[in-house]
Amino acid sequence: MVLLQLDPFLNELTTLYQNSTDKGSIWVTLKRSSMKSKVQRNKMTTNGEPIEYRCLIRATDGKKTISTSVGARDHQRFQASYATILKAHMTALKKRERKDKKKAAEGDKKEGDVKKKPKRV
Amino acid sequence: MVYMASWDEFVERSVQLFRADPDSTRYVMKYRHCDGKLVLKVTDNKECLKFKTDQAQDAKKMEKLNNQFFTLMSRGPDADLSEVTGKEQTEAQPGKKGRGRKQ
Repeated sequence: MVLLQLDPFLNELTTLYQNSTDKGSIWVTLKRSSMKSKVQRNKMTTNGEPIEYRCLIRATDGKKTISTSVGARDHQRFQASYATILKAHMTALKKRERKDKKKAAEGDKKEGDVKKKPKRV
Repeated sequence: MVYMASWDEFVERSVQLFRADPDSTRYVMKYRHCDGKLVLKVTDNKECLKFKTDQAQDAKKMEKLNNQFFTLMSRGPDADLSEVTGKEQTEAQPGKKGRGRKQ
């Protein structure tokens, strides 16, 4: 289990997705974490120190696990890059089946008859 | 726990679950390319909510949920979710170039 910086994590995640196209699954877990042990946390609580929480992100293919964490400052940049990676690799999902909406739309068009002006005699 | 049928219910209940116990709730996304399947799971080790799909349109909804959880987990369970969208958010760039002045 390796705790990586954001960009190396995203690179490794891409590799995981690329290696699992034929078989296997990828798990990505998000969890709120202080990145500290329980003992440390207890100590901080008794001393009245505030505990800073981050979002811990772990990814695994069942064999190899990678992880990283984002704080309040950098999570927006990270989630944008993360979404891009997901979009690039989740290509096996089915597209929506289109219902016959076109047929219904065409029927309405020819209703308003253009009235011909009466000819002057 | 069986899979939930409604996406909206899944989202609502998972956010509730997280807010009730932020320290032990986790959000897992499992993607299996060869079968084209996506499974989302939110659990606090007591209750478990799951959602399964094979539709590409659900992946877009998932993107929004991802962003919601990123926000909740990094900013705290009281964070405001009303502004979180499914779109890729570009953070306001601090280093904006001068106001139209060419150098």
